[in-house]
Amino acid sequence: MTDQTGNRLPVADRAAVMRAVGRLVARDKAAFAAVIALYVAAAGAGAALPVMLGEVVDGIGSGWTAARVDLACGVIVGCVVVQLVLMRIGRLLGYRFGERAAARLRESFIDRVLRLPLGTVERAGTGDLSTRTAGDVSAVAELLRKTGPEVTVAMIEVVVITAAAFVVSPVLGPLFLIGSPALVLTTRWYMRRAGPAFLAERAAMGEIAETLTASAAGARTVAAYRMQDERGRAGYEGAGTHRRRLWRIIRLQFWFKPGIDLTFLVPAMVVTMFGGYLYLQGWVSVGEVVAVAMLTLRLDGPVLRSMMAMTEFQMGGAALARVEGVHLIPDEERFAAPAGAEVRLDNVTFGYGDGPDVLHGLSLHPRRGERLVVVGPSGAGKSTIARLVAGIERPRTGSVTLGGAATADIELEDLRRKVVLVTQEHYVFTATLRDNLNLAAPEATDEQLEAALKTVDARWAADLPEGLETMLGEEHRELYLAEAQQLALARVILADPDVVILDEATAGIDPGSAGNVEAALAAALEGRTVIAIAHQLQAAEAADRIAVVDEGRIAEEGSHTELLAAGGAYAELWRAWRGVPARGQLSLYQGTYPDWRRKIP
Amino acid sequence: MPTRPTGMIWWIVRPQLKRFVLGVLIFIGMSAVWMSLPAIVAEIIDSVTETRSLNEALPWLVALMACTVVGPLLFITGYRILFVAESRARVRIVELMSDHLERVGTGVRSKVSAGEMVNLSTDDNRKAAQLLFELGFGAFNAAAFGYGVFMLWRIDWFLGLATGVGMFLIGTCIGPVLERLHRRQTAYRAQTAEVTGQAADIAGGLRILRGIGGESQFERRYAEASLLLRDTGYRLGRADSWLRGIEGSLPFALAAAVTWLAARQAVQGNLTVGEVTAVFGYNMLLANFLGFVVGIAKNWIEAMVSARRLSSFFATRDPLPAEGAGIGRGALVDPLTGLVVEEGSGLTVVVSDDGDAAKAALARIAFRSDSEATWGETRLRDLDRGVIRDRVLLLEEDYLFRETLRGSLRADDDEAALTALRTASAEDVYTSLGSDLDAVVDDAGRNLSGGQRQRLRLARALAAEPEYLLAAEATSAVDAPTEARIAQGVSEARRGRTTVVISSSPLWLTRSDRVVWFDGGKVRAAGTVAELAENPEFRTLTSRAG
Repeated sequence: MTDQTGNRLPVADRAAVMRAVGRLVARDKAAFAAVIALYVAAAGAGAALPVMLGEVVDGIGSGWTAARVDLACGVIVGCVVVQLVLMRIGRLLGYRFGERAAARLRESFIDRVLRLPLGTVERAGTGDLSTRTAGDVSAVAELLRKTGPEVTVAMIEVVVITAAAFVVSPVLGPLFLIGSPALVLTTRWYMRRAGPAFLAERAAMGEIAETLTASAAGARTVAAYRMQDERGRAGYEGAGTHRRRLWRIIRLQFWFKPGIDLTFLVPAMVVTMFGGYLYLQGWVSVGEVVAVAMLTLRLDGPVLRSMMAMTEFQMGGAALARVEGVHLIPDEERFAAPAGAEVRLDNVTFGYGDGPDVLHGLSLHPRRGERLVVVGPSGAGKSTIARLVAGIERPRTGSVTLGGAATADIELEDLRRKVVLVTQEHYVFTATLRDNLNLAAPEATDEQLEAALKTVDARWAADLPEGLETMLGEEHRELYLAEAQQLALARVILADPDVVILDEATAGIDPGSAGNVEAALAAALEGRTVIAIAHQLQAAEAADRIAVVDEGRIAEEGSHTELLAAGGAYAELWRAWRGVPARGQLSLYQGTYPDWRRKIP
Repeated sequence: MPTRPTGMIWWIVRPQLKRFVLGVLIFIGMSAVWMSLPAIVAEIIDSVTETRSLNEALPWLVALMACTVVGPLLFITGYRILFVAESRARVRIVELMSDHLERVGTGVRSKVSAGEMVNLSTDDNRKAAQLLFELGFGAFNAAAFGYGVFMLWRIDWFLGLATGVGMFLIGTCIGPVLERLHRRQTAYRAQTAEVTGQAADIAGGLRILRGIGGESQFERRYAEASLLLRDTGYRLGRADSWLRGIEGSLPFALAAAVTWLAARQAVQGNLTVGEVTAVFGYNMLLANFLGFVVGIAKNWIEAMVSARRLSSFFATRDPLPAEGAGIGRGALVDPLTGLVVEEGSGLTVVVSDDGDAAKAALARIAFRSDSEATWGETRLRDLDRGVIRDRVLLLEEDYLFRETLRGSLRADDDEAALTALRTASAEDVYTSLGSDLDAVVDDAGRNLSGGQRQRLRLARALAAEPEYLLAAEATSAVDAPTEARIAQGVSEARRGRTTVVISSSPLWLTRSDRVVWFDGGKVRAAGTVAELAENPEFRTLTSRAG
C-alpha cells in the first residue's frame, strides 16, 4: 500500500513548530534561563579581554606604574578563568537541556505514532513514516543538543561583543555595524538557496546508498542474471548526480564565504582608519581604537561558526516540522465497549478509499469457540474480512460487531485484549527473542514463553546461543519466513484473546509441518473463536465450518463433508489440491481448474 | 587496494594530489595575509600617535585595504580548490565501490550488512574524503602558527618563545580531553543507532503491533532506550563541555599573560603601544585558529575510523575460485547428493523431506557455491563462469531492483515479456501496475504483494530462457488453482529444455517428466511419478491427506 502522490502525513507550519519549541522550553524553564544567563556571562567575560587591553594601552600612554599594569592584567587573566568556568558550566547545562528536550520530543513522537490510525499511515505510505521515525527524529536531536546551542552561543557572543564596542566608545561603536547590512543580505540570499541545495545533495546521497545497498543485497541476483553492467551504470549515475549537486553547493559558497569574511574585515579596517582620524581630532583615545579594532577580530569565530551551522539549523527545523506534524493528525474516537466476544458481520459492503466495493452485502456469523476457515481465490476479499473484524477498517454499509459494538469504535486496548489478527506479513523487531515475544504479554514468565514456542513447533528457538536473550533482526540473527511466522503464532498464544484471526498465518511454513503447527495451535486455542483465512487447504478439513468467499460474497458455507457432498466450487478445489490419493493406483487429477484470476485484457 | 587506514587515505589523496598541493599553497599564502594584520594595525597606531598625522600611516592604510580584499579572495580560491578535490574524491569512492560490488559479486553479502552499506556509501565516504579539506586547512593553521610566532619573536624573542611554548602546552592538554570525548562519542553513536533502529521498526511493524496490541510494551522498551541515550548524552556533554571550556579559554589566558608581559615592557619603554596591540592581536588570532585545529583533530580521528571501515569493505573478495575457461556439455551432477540433471530432460520435480538439502544441491550445480559439482565430466570451477551463468539459472528469492516492469523482466521484446507474465500467472502484477510495462517496480518489489513478487521472479526467470532453470522457490506463496496453471504453463513453455522445481505438490508432480526423491539429504530414487508412487513412503510424502 504505497501511495506516492497524496495523503502524506501532515507537516507542522512555522507557528506550530515555534509553539513546540516554546513547550520544550517551558517544560524546563529554570534550566533554560540558567543556560542563557551563563552563556551571556561567559561572552561578557570573553569580550572583556579587548576592552581591558584598551585600558592598558591608554594607561601606558598616561604613565601607569608597573603595579597598575599588573593589576589591570591580573583582572584580564581573572576574566579568562571566570570565562572558562562559566563556559564549561553553561555548555554542560546546555547539553543536558538539549538531551532532555530531545528525549521528551522523541518519546512523545513515538507515543503518538504508535497510536496513529493504521489506515492513515498506510495511505501515506510507510516510507513517509520511516523517514520521520528514523531520520527526522535524530536530526531534531542533533538540533537540540548540538546545533541549537552552537548557534545560540554564537549569536549571544555577537550581540555581547557588539554591545561591548558601544560601551567602549559610542562614537566607534556604530562603525562596528558597518558590515551588518551586507551580512544580513548575503545570509538571506544564501539561506534561500542553500537549504534546497543541501537537501538535493542529501537526496543524491540517499539514492547512492539505496543503489549500492540494493546491489549488495541482490548480489546473487546480479550474478545470476549477469546484471553487473547495469548495476555498475546505476552506481555511476548516482555518483554523477551527486557530483552535479556538490558543484551547485561549491558555486553557492564561492560567493557566500568571502561575504562573511568581509563583514568583519571591513569594520576592522574602517575602525582603524577612521579611528586614527577621530583620535587626531581628539574624539577618542588610542585605547578605545585598539579595543574596538580587537573586538572586530573576535567576531570572526562566532560569525563563522553560526554561518557553518546555519544550513544544519535549517534542515533540523524542517525535520522538526515533520516530527511535529504527526501531532496534527486527529485522534480516532473509539469509545464503544463490547459486551461479550461474539463476532457478527451483517450485510457488509466495503471498498478501500474511493475505490469500488470489494465486499457486496456479505454476512458471516462465526459461533463462539468455533474454528471457521475462510477460503477463496486471491482478491476475493478474504483479507478485507480480517481487517474489518480487527477494527482496522469501517464498513460502508452494514455492520461488523464484536459483543454488539462496532469493531471500528471499540477502544483499542480493549479491542486487542479480545481480538488478535496475525497476517502473512512477517516482521521481526530488532530486539531480543524475549522482547519480540512478550509484546502482547509483558508479564509472561520464561516458562510461558518457552511453552508457547514449543506449541508452534519452533524448535530453532531452543538452539539459539543465548536463548531468549538472543538478538533478532537483520544485523543479528535473521529469521526465515517460517520461523518468523512461528514467532507470530507464539505471540497469539501468549496474548490469549477471545477471537483469533489468522490471515494466511502459516503460508510460509513447509506444507508438511504447517499441518502440525495448525493442529498444535488449534489445541492451544481451544475454546477461542478462530477465523482462519487460507488459500492452501490443509486447514480446511479439520475446521468446524468452511466459508467460501468469491467476488466479495459468501459463495458456500458448511462443514467439509457437507461442502464435498454439495459438489460445488469447494469440492472441485479440494480434489485439485489433494492430488495423489492415499491408496492404490495413481489417479491424478487432470481436469480443468476453476480460473478465478482476471486475465490480461 | 590498500588494507590499512593510512594507506586508504593516501589512496584517496593521491589522485587529487596536484589540486591538494595547489590548495595548500594558496592557504599558506592566505595565512601570511592574515598574520600581517596585527603588524599593520600596530604600524598605523604607532605612526599616528608619534607624528600626530595620517600621512606617515598612508602606506600601511593601503596595505590594510589590500589585505581586506586579498585575504578573502585567497581563502575562497583555496577553499574552492580543496572542496573540488574533496568532492571528486567522494564521487570517485562511490564509483569504486560500485566497481568493487561488481567484481566481488556475492562476496560482500555475508560480510557487509545493509545498514553498513548505507553508512559506507554516505557518512564514511564523506568523512574520509573530507580529510583532503581538513589537511589543507590544517596546513593553513600550521603556517599561521609558525608565521605568528616568528612575528612575535621579531618584536621580542621572549614573547615569541612564550607564545610558542604556551600553545604547545595547551595542545598537549587538549589531547587527552579529545580522546575521552571520542570514546564518549562512540558510545553515544552506538546508543543513537539503537534508538533509531527501534524507531525504524515502527514503520515496518506497526501493523503487527496493531494486530497483537504490543504498542505499550514497545513504547516502554523505546522509552528505556531513549533514557539511556539521554544519560549517555549527559556523559558526552561532560566531556564536550570541558573541551569547549578549555579551547575557548586557555588560549585567551595565554593571550592575556603574554600581553601582560608586553605591557610591562611597554611601561619600561622597551615596546611601543602599537607593538603591545600587535602582541595581543597575534595571540587572539592564534587562539581562534587553535579552535580550528581542535576541529581538524576531531575530524581526523573520525576519518581514520571511516577509512578503516572503507578498507575492510574493499578487502572483501569473491568467494568463488578464479574463473576457468571450458564450456560445459552433458548433465549437471552433484556428487554430494547424487543429483543428476540431464540436458533437455523437460520438467524434473524434486520431492524432498528437507527443503534446504535440495536447495543446497541446486545451488551447487548452479555454481553458486564452490563444490565438486560437474557439468558432464568437467568440474564447474574449471569452466567459464559467464557461460555457466548464461545457461544455468537458479531461481530463488531473487532481488527485485527498482526499475520498470519491462526492465525487471529483461525480456527481448514486449511480447516475450507479456508471455512470461502469462506463463507465470503474473497477469495481476501487470494489471496492478496500471497495465503498463513502463510502470516502476519499487526497490525489493515493495509495491507488490509477497505472492506477486514470487510470480514476477518466476516470470523474469522464464523470460531469460536459460537452458537449465533450477527453481528452488517457485510457487510456495500461491493458491492451488494458480499453482496448477503455473505448473501447466511452465511445463509447456519449457518443453525440450531442462527445468527443475523443488515441490511436493501433486499439481507439479502431474506435469513432471521425471521425479527425484531426496531422503535424508541424498537422492533416494529417481524415475517417473508413476514409478515412484509404487512406494508407500513416497505416497505419504506427496499426499496431502491430513
